[in-house]
Amino acid sequence: MIKLENIEKYYANKGLKSYILRHVSTTIEQGEFVSIMGPSGAGKSTLLNILGMLEEPTYGTYEFMGENVTALNERKRIELYRNHIGFVFQAYHLIDEMTVAENIEAPLLYKKIGSAERKSRVADMLDRFNIVGKKDLFPNQLSGGQQQLVGIARALAAQPSIILADEPTGNLQSAQALQIMELFKTLNRKEGITIIQVTHAEVNAAYGSRILHLLDGVIKEDLNLVNV
Amino acid sequence: MFKLNFKIALRNLWKNKAYTFINAGGLAIGLASCMLLLLYVTYELGYDKQFTHYENTYIVYSNQKNAGELTTNAYTPAVMASELKAKIPGAIAVSHSTYPENHLISYKEGSFNKLGLFGDPDFLKILDYKFLKGNPASVLREVNSVILTATMARNLFGSEDPINKTIKIDNKEWLKVEAVIEDVPKNSSIQFSYLMPWRLLAQENPAVEYGGWGNFSYLTLVQLQGEQFFSQANDLIRTVYKQHDSYSTMEAFLHPLSKWHLYAQFENGKSVGGKIGQVRIFLLLAVCILLIACVNFMNLSTARSEKRAKEVGVRKAIGSSRKSLIGQFMLESLLLSFLGMLAAFILLEVALPYFNNLLNIQLAIYYTDWKFWSALIGLTLLTGVVAGSYPAFYLSSFEPVKVLKGFKTGGGSSLSIRQVLVVFQFSFAACLIVCTAVIYQQLNYIRNKPIGYSKNNLLEIRIDGNLKSKEKLQLLEDQLLTSGAVTHVAHFNQSISEGGMLTWGVDWPGKNKNDEVIFAYRSTGYGFAKTMGTPMVLGREFSPRFADSASVIVNETAIKIMGLKNPIGSYFKADDKRVKIIGVMKDFVMESPYERAKPMIIDNQMNFSDGQMTQVRVIVARLNTSENISSSIDKIDGIFKAINPGFPVQRKFVDDNFEAKFQNEKLLGTMANWFGGFAVFISCLGLLGLALFMAEQRKKEISIRKVLGASNLNIVTLLNKEFIRLVALANLMAFPLGYIVMNHWLSSYSFRVAISFLPFAIALCLSLLIAILTVSVQSVKVANANPIDALKYE
Repeated sequence: MIKLENIEKYYANKGLKSYILRHVSTTIEQGEFVSIMGPSGAGKSTLLNILGMLEEPTYGTYEFMGENVTALNERKRIELYRNHIGFVFQAYHLIDEMTVAENIEAPLLYKKIGSAERKSRVADMLDRFNIVGKKDLFPNQLSGGQQQLVGIARALAAQPSIILADEPTGNLQSAQALQIMELFKTLNRKEGITIIQVTHAEVNAAYGSRILHLLDGVIKEDLNLVNV
Repeated sequence: MFKLNFKIALRNLWKNKAYTFINAGGLAIGLASCMLLLLYVTYELGYDKQFTHYENTYIVYSNQKNAGELTTNAYTPAVMASELKAKIPGAIAVSHSTYPENHLISYKEGSFNKLGLFGDPDFLKILDYKFLKGNPASVLREVNSVILTATMARNLFGSEDPINKTIKIDNKEWLKVEAVIEDVPKNSSIQFSYLMPWRLLAQENPAVEYGGWGNFSYLTLVQLQGEQFFSQANDLIRTVYKQHDSYSTMEAFLHPLSKWHLYAQFENGKSVGGKIGQVRIFLLLAVCILLIACVNFMNLSTARSEKRAKEVGVRKAIGSSRKSLIGQFMLESLLLSFLGMLAAFILLEVALPYFNNLLNIQLAIYYTDWKFWSALIGLTLLTGVVAGSYPAFYLSSFEPVKVLKGFKTGGGSSLSIRQVLVVFQFSFAACLIVCTAVIYQQLNYIRNKPIGYSKNNLLEIRIDGNLKSKEKLQLLEDQLLTSGAVTHVAHFNQSISEGGMLTWGVDWPGKNKNDEVIFAYRSTGYGFAKTMGTPMVLGREFSPRFADSASVIVNETAIKIMGLKNPIGSYFKADDKRVKIIGVMKDFVMESPYERAKPMIIDNQMNFSDGQMTQVRVIVARLNTSENISSSIDKIDGIFKAINPGFPVQRKFVDDNFEAKFQNEKLLGTMANWFGGFAVFISCLGLLGLALFMAEQRKKEISIRKVLGASNLNIVTLLNKEFIRLVALANLMAFPLGYIVMNHWLSSYSFRVAISFLPFAIALCLSLLIAILTVSVQSVKVANANPIDALKYE
């Protein structure tokens, strides 16, 4: 599904290159649950951003579903966001002015899905995440864990093939974090959604099927948990 | 999609009520000012265009040589009309009429002093006023008939039907009401309350018809079949005077009716504009104020960019295209401009009566007119789009990865655009302040300029009815003096603050024959100079002790023009009569305080016919300052009523009369003041927006400075310095502009102030002061904030 070849990212400052990522090459198959780990400044988030096409690599090629997307124009990129990629952020990033239901509905609107279908999908999501009673609340009326649930529901509503999550539990208490990780695991196992998450915690990484260890922009270790 | 965006836009506005209020308020003031000015401009542009065939209607103007230059006016002889009607091809109608004059019009007990004029049937053919009652085809043919306007009819008759009732004019002629027409629109150059037949004038005053080509008193209107006849007609008309008097140097020409009001200024025979200049200035002002309001909106919107940035990032990450984001922001700005328009509407309706009162005009919103609605909607859309364009493009350009990571507006460029906007706003505001100050200076200068007589405690009272008889007038003057209410009194054949009564027929030894000079020709009795308080430079006034029938008094300008070394006792010819100069009077201002005095001749000869002094128009009376003014006035009124019952006493204080001459400049001053004030206010809102933005952006820097030991004062100074620089820059840019505009404006006055540095100093100080006050509100808040609030999120 994803193929990275020799991805490099650096910032040139007065002729001095400061590398974020070096020679990153890897392949991620459909249905994998990958955790990217590493200390601060290892380039985890940058790698995830490149995977999410929020940033462009300085060098190297990136194939997404067999298509070279290294330098994609905005229109096509938006097309991918609408149909294949769902984001989950550490800080949830819900739209404050929208209610829970509207937040979940938003990507469907951009996807130009009909009204009836939208309603049923939103209802479905609310039901699934047990937040039907909160559908008319605004994000600031929810706890962090609940907000993140809405965040995930929003990402799932568009029925993406892959979810990119940047420390989804970073701001959460452990009990809530556990709930989120269980959810990811279920999504991955039961629905076959590819998940790539950045995380600090070994506990979280353990839910996945594979761990990429980054250090100073280089993949130090590629651990397959299924075979272990 | 649209519904959700709309809902979100509403929520956004509701959540940030203060911001919405400032923003919509700024827009509302801008829009209201703009609409008000546009209403005024359309009102002015609509002058004299109420008539069906206004495009093919022309006024006959004449050019006359005067002291080497051409003077232009619209006074023509009565015979002009019949001459043109016979000769001009394509003339549908040609009318002669008088200019409106006050007469006493009465029915039963009610009497009113109102403007009326004498016109012929063609007059109503050309100016097709709407008839409410009566038959338009048959009016103005009978000698003793009259047409009333609706208001006049109501005033005289109340709810009675006025048709075929008789009213009295000047307490002597009985006229039958033939028809009632709609009130004359206020933006019409000819204003009257009733129309009388030309035949009545001719019957009363046969000289009107037989005066031939020498009596320039009347208005001649020409209506052509079409534009194609214009040049031919204009060529024909040019030589019309020459054909009847081979010595005449006058030339007549046609001036379009639609340009009568706005293009009334002529220089050397050529139309050089007039009020249209002022209208253009107001139009420009309307556009600029709206622009300022839009700029304001941009500033405030982008100042909140940090708050919106996250939303943009998230929306982009879940698949929103930039286009739809732009659409969303545009929607918000349109919504705000719609809100602003609603508020502007209320402001406008509240302000209109005041504005109408101030300008003495009749502006109204025509709710049934599609043009009004389309202009309104157009204006709202335009404002929304212009105001929303920059924020929409700016906000939608954020890259999701940057804003989601934590918003950092490094954007030096975006800030500088904002700075440019603020400089633009303040330049305009400063320019308006300069203009207002100069207008006031000029107004004051003209007002305080010596006018040649003492206008305080000077009364001017109209003479009509009985008082035109010599004995009664004498009696009146004697009684006024003995009552002690006045100290001096004199009669005069023209209001002292009016022009007219001119002659070219002045001849003196050594006059260049090709030089025709226009003189004002007046008549008075005894003690005129003394009453006016105008000093006699040489010689004496008229006096009963001398026989003064062939003597005249002239003013200083006349002496200068005639080049007389020893004027007293010298002779010259006025209207073919040899007269002797017995006195020289100081120049005094008659018609316009803005123009140099005309040469003037005053004789002691009121024309008599049947024992009536038909020419006498007013008496001037100097109030006795040692008496109580209101009791003096009562005494004067009593004396008038006793001698001349049936006529109301029409007295005016000359200084009030004089004040009316500044109407136009006062209006300009007031308008500049108000709209300048609005511009400054709206600009301040914009500045506030910029200050908010800066404070938000520099929160961290300020916190660090505070941790390092900066005092609140240091911080406030630091923040204000930036804005002071911007406002100072704006002033620098405004000054040359203000100077050019005001120099241009002043150049049309013969008496004008020199532009001093004072207005510029006022503009600089005022704008700086206001700016500092505005910005300090914000910077003090920032300076007082706890530094940890800003630092802990890093």
